[in-house]
Amino acid sequence: MQDRKVRQTMPLPSLPSGGLMRQPSAPFGFTTLRRLASLPRRKQLERLLWHSLALGVAVLFAAPLVWLIIASLQPIGWPPPRTLAWFPHGVAWSNYVEIFRVAPLGLQIGNSLLVSSAGMLITLLTASWAGFAMSQLPPPSRGWLVGLALLLLLIPSGAVWMPRYVLFSSMGLIDTYAALVAPALFGTRSLLALMYYWSFRRISSELYESASLDGAGLWTVWRRIALPLARPTTLAVAVLAFSHYWSDFVDPLLFLKSTQRFTIAVGLRMLQQMNATNWPLLMAAVAVMIAPVLALYLLLQVVLNKDANFLRRVIHPFNE
Amino acid sequence: MAAPFLFGALLLVVLPAALSFALAFMRYDVFASPTWQGVENFVVIFRRDIFWIALRNTLVFAFSAAPLQVFGALLVALLLHPERRGVRLYRAVVYLTSILPDVAYALIWLWLLNPLYGPINLTLSWLGLPTPAWLVDSRTALASLVIVAAVRVGEGMLLLIAARRTVPDSYYDAARIDGADRLRIFWHITLPLLVPWLLLLLIRDLVMAIHSSLTPVLLMTGGGPGYATTLLPFLIYEEAFTHLRLGEAAAMMGGIFALIGPLIGLAGWLTHRWWGDHAG
Repeated sequence: MQDRKVRQTMPLPSLPSGGLMRQPSAPFGFTTLRRLASLPRRKQLERLLWHSLALGVAVLFAAPLVWLIIASLQPIGWPPPRTLAWFPHGVAWSNYVEIFRVAPLGLQIGNSLLVSSAGMLITLLTASWAGFAMSQLPPPSRGWLVGLALLLLLIPSGAVWMPRYVLFSSMGLIDTYAALVAPALFGTRSLLALMYYWSFRRISSELYESASLDGAGLWTVWRRIALPLARPTTLAVAVLAFSHYWSDFVDPLLFLKSTQRFTIAVGLRMLQQMNATNWPLLMAAVAVMIAPVLALYLLLQVVLNKDANFLRRVIHPFNE
Repeated sequence: MAAPFLFGALLLVVLPAALSFALAFMRYDVFASPTWQGVENFVVIFRRDIFWIALRNTLVFAFSAAPLQVFGALLVALLLHPERRGVRLYRAVVYLTSILPDVAYALIWLWLLNPLYGPINLTLSWLGLPTPAWLVDSRTALASLVIVAAVRVGEGMLLLIAARRTVPDSYYDAARIDGADRLRIFWHITLPLLVPWLLLLLIRDLVMAIHSSLTPVLLMTGGGPGYATTLLPFLIYEEAFTHLRLGEAAAMMGGIFALIGPLIGLAGWLTHRWWGDHAG
């Protein structure tokens, strides 16, 4: 600890200041450099190392998506490039038009939108009801309900698709969207009900009590007090539920039979089987499919960044 | 108000689980009504080599992918934990791996790992490194699936960053005053305090790896080459929907439950032990 003070002697001359080159949103901009320059040298090295490591990690994790876009823009008809050159035969934006002609992508996107919106809306109701019930019940039954939700969190829905198929076929639900949206009955994933529970629990009980003294019933309290105060949770649950149904592959694979009902997730599988070697078109379809999911998460990120503690509260329910 | 939740849980989780237990003791092919046949299904599947191959593959897959995933998540979480400029963007990029739909993720990696044209092998050969055939070679196919699964560290990272924040700064200040260096601080403070989270994350990733490999296997390898990547969920899918032997599929599903049941029990016990009733 002593020798660090000795090393701190000469800070590097700081870069010229001035508001012109400020880039507040840039991850590694000019201001970062300037801040670096004002630190002692050992810290400087450390920070520089951190920034290059973090940037490297980010580049590594972004690479698959970048490669996806590059692959989706290769002109059709050429053999795939066997060098690392990005666009040896030019950029084919037309792939993104062509893909809607080759495959019924538009129809499948419509189907997916229908299923995902229905699933999301039902989920918002059932998850918030279940969460509200958990927050209002007296201790012993509350414990049971929360325990059940935590248990469901661990039981993989993937482990029960086969008996679900038997069940749905005996109920005549095969090849209907009801079979796809069914999990919305219990809030799609019990995590979503728990998220509501955790955020409802933070609302002071006096608020509930005074409302019920004023003669408000359970439903009124839920609608007028609990839901409006849990808006960030509602947004997060909506995004999670929508992208769950949008991404769902196994359920439509098992439960849908007629191709005109296919959602885009199974549509991709169909496209893969149709022409396995047409990588540019397949990758373009993949890019189209992931775009809404990425956009929704971006929206969520932007909105929740204003409420910085939100994520911590949601994923970190213990230790309070 | 919890009625839909309870009803849904009963109809879609509890009832199917019971049904699959019952089906395991029946002969059923969807068309004729099921008939009771005792433990016959289990005798049949235990005699088939493919069941043991799939079981072995599943264990190898899960017990290599999950620890790697947790380790990766820990590394990234420790790196991206400090609140510095740009860290939110970096975290978002890492988190991308977890939000991509399974189908899209599998198809993207199918392209990345293409032995001839895939960017990974092009990069490797540009660097002068050997270029394995990845998913096409029975020696590397399972390992490729492990890599693809282990890269998904986004959720684990978020959880561990949140967990790391629960450690009070005063611990670190005290250690620094005592003259502890980085490595010792990590070894004696950060790691022990993160152990509960790491264990829970490991159990969760194990459970996920055991039961949710159907999508990647179906899209990327089809269980091959040979039976190199035939994992239990894929085998169950084939039994139930290609060969219509639902009884045998249910018996195999019993194998999955036998694997994840104890893990789930352990997770519940650990949670209760460490956090008591705060979890509720």
